Amino acid sequence: MVKRKVRLSEILLNSSVFLSTALSALALGLIFFYVIREGTTLLNWELFTGNYHARNYIAELQDNQSQSYNMPDFSTSENVYPVDRFGIALEEDVDLAGNGVVRVYYVHPDSPFNQMISKEVGTEVVDLDVGMIFQRISYVDHPTSLSRGGAQKFATELNDPQREVYELFFSDLGGGIQGSIITTIYLIFMTIIIAVPFGVLTAIYFNEFAPSNWITKTMRSFIETLTGVPSIIYGLLGITVFVPLTVRFTPAVNSNLIAGALTLSVIILPTIIRTTEESLRVVPDDHRAASLALGANKTQTTFKVVLPQASPGIITATFLGIGRVIGESAALIFVLGAAIKDTVNIYEPSTSLAVHIWSMMTDEPANIALSSTIAILILAIVLVINVTVKIGVKLLTRKGM
Amino acid sequence: MEKVIETQELSLNYGDFNALANVNLPIYRNKVTALIGPSGCGKSTFLRCLNRMNDLIDNVKVEGIIRFNGEPVQGVGVDVIELRKKVGMVFQKPNPFPMSIFDNVAYGPRQQGVKNKDKLKEIVEKALKQAALYGEVKDRMNESATRLSGGQQQRLCIARALAMEPEVLLMDEPTSALDPMATQRIEELIEELKKDYTIVIVTHSMQQAARISDNTAFFLLGEIIEFGLTSEIFANPRDKRTEDYITGRFG
Repeated sequence: MVKRKVRLSEILLNSSVFLSTALSALALGLIFFYVIREGTTLLNWELFTGNYHARNYIAELQDNQSQSYNMPDFSTSENVYPVDRFGIALEEDVDLAGNGVVRVYYVHPDSPFNQMISKEVGTEVVDLDVGMIFQRISYVDHPTSLSRGGAQKFATELNDPQREVYELFFSDLGGGIQGSIITTIYLIFMTIIIAVPFGVLTAIYFNEFAPSNWITKTMRSFIETLTGVPSIIYGLLGITVFVPLTVRFTPAVNSNLIAGALTLSVIILPTIIRTTEESLRVVPDDHRAASLALGANKTQTTFKVVLPQASPGIITATFLGIGRVIGESAALIFVLGAAIKDTVNIYEPSTSLAVHIWSMMTDEPANIALSSTIAILILAIVLVINVTVKIGVKLLTRKGM
Repeated sequence: MEKVIETQELSLNYGDFNALANVNLPIYRNKVTALIGPSGCGKSTFLRCLNRMNDLIDNVKVEGIIRFNGEPVQGVGVDVIELRKKVGMVFQKPNPFPMSIFDNVAYGPRQQGVKNKDKLKEIVEKALKQAALYGEVKDRMNESATRLSGGQQQRLCIARALAMEPEVLLMDEPTSALDPMATQRIEELIEELKKDYTIVIVTHSMQQAARISDNTAFFLLGEIIEFGLTSEIFANPRDKRTEDYITGRFG
């Protein structure tokens, strides 16, 4: 056997192939590692379901007399301090942004902290619920205590029979991203409903109906160029066209979700057109000819024979679009605003998850932990979408072809 | 003998290229007419003139007269869809749609507005029986047509064309992608079908033309060199070029 001489250039080529792969994998792996390391500490169901803006309450007790309550034993729980005198327990905890807070760990049903007299206009009584945050307690004839003293200090003071509670300032947890999740879901649905029909029909025009002349070619290369335009430019379009348009025709008064969805539709339209067109192009001409030879007209051929065969491509296009909607931030800051909302209204500004990250990072100081947690959520959604698309397309192709 | 289709001085140009020149050919009812000739001689182009499938290609210019049952086929006012309903076509490669067997055959009638399920079932069964496929697929009508074998797919395509109840069936090398067994079944089928239909078949195989056709037209460079009874053309070709071709000297 002749031993083949391996050339140096081949060794270099092969090693650069392996090296590039290793570097790419390393870069992607590091991103995942970083995001997951930073974000998992805050990963918590309350974050996804909670409001961002904490609601504050000021109230006084109806009854300041000590009673004995049949309290559970908290000695095994760490950082929990019972207040036997009032039938509650306080916990040293961190909020969703990672700051130390005093949370309510337990409230006895007979505790005077239930049915407190609210000092706000419009509400009469207010309950203290498990999970709420103690901000400040004022006492009669004693100095006011703030939460930075910690749970233990609050508990010791409250257990002191000499003290009479004058006023309690407390709040919900806050910092949740529920509103941003809902906005993102709204954006996905609205954008897809607008962009997919337009995109698919445009692709049909280009692939099935358009004459092959310079006008078609020019339009096609325009669309191709549009896929590469930075999204902030679409944001400019959105703020100069879609925001005034929606303000004119809907109850909206400034940036709003509809304008956001319209802008995103324009952003994903070129991708949808191109992907759909590619899947239309691979439909064999034989099938078109067979349909026409059977006396079907162009429209029937296009919608009954060609389009169904392109459906895996259209699904792929749709999910690429969804990925883009989830990831978009720059354009949305213009047209949707960066105001974090807990109740979402399509006529009002709100924030998507990606813009929420941006808001967290522009806070002083930047909240990297929370941003990473949102990033984990976004990555998870994108992962789920990708897997769904793969399975869906596989099922479709197996059924049809 | 009654002529179903007749062409007079038919010529066709793709841009500058002259694909057909001065073709005069009668197609007789309930006969099988074979179009033979070397690749690029214009026989498929001619076939596609008969149901105007050449309309799909840009830059095609057709001159001359084509008559189907005495009515012109070319021209602006002609209802192409009506023509294609009457002149069905089977292609070189089996091309069933990626749908169920039933939906494939029902496709044509459905596009013409037949919605009644029983009526569709009747049409599909009849077409599949005519195409000698019914026995093989009657229990798997809802299966995808692409799972059938090549020969079955081609018979399905024939059934799909027959479901439109055409008068003429154009076949463009229908067996060139099939194995000998499947080819034989299609040939037997053609024999059977000519009782009810007029068939025009383009074929590369001289043996096939000799076996199944009544009339044969020999095309060369866009012209008809010879047309006549198959038995005569194969036994005593009048033209030297025909003789050379059928004896395998070129092509």
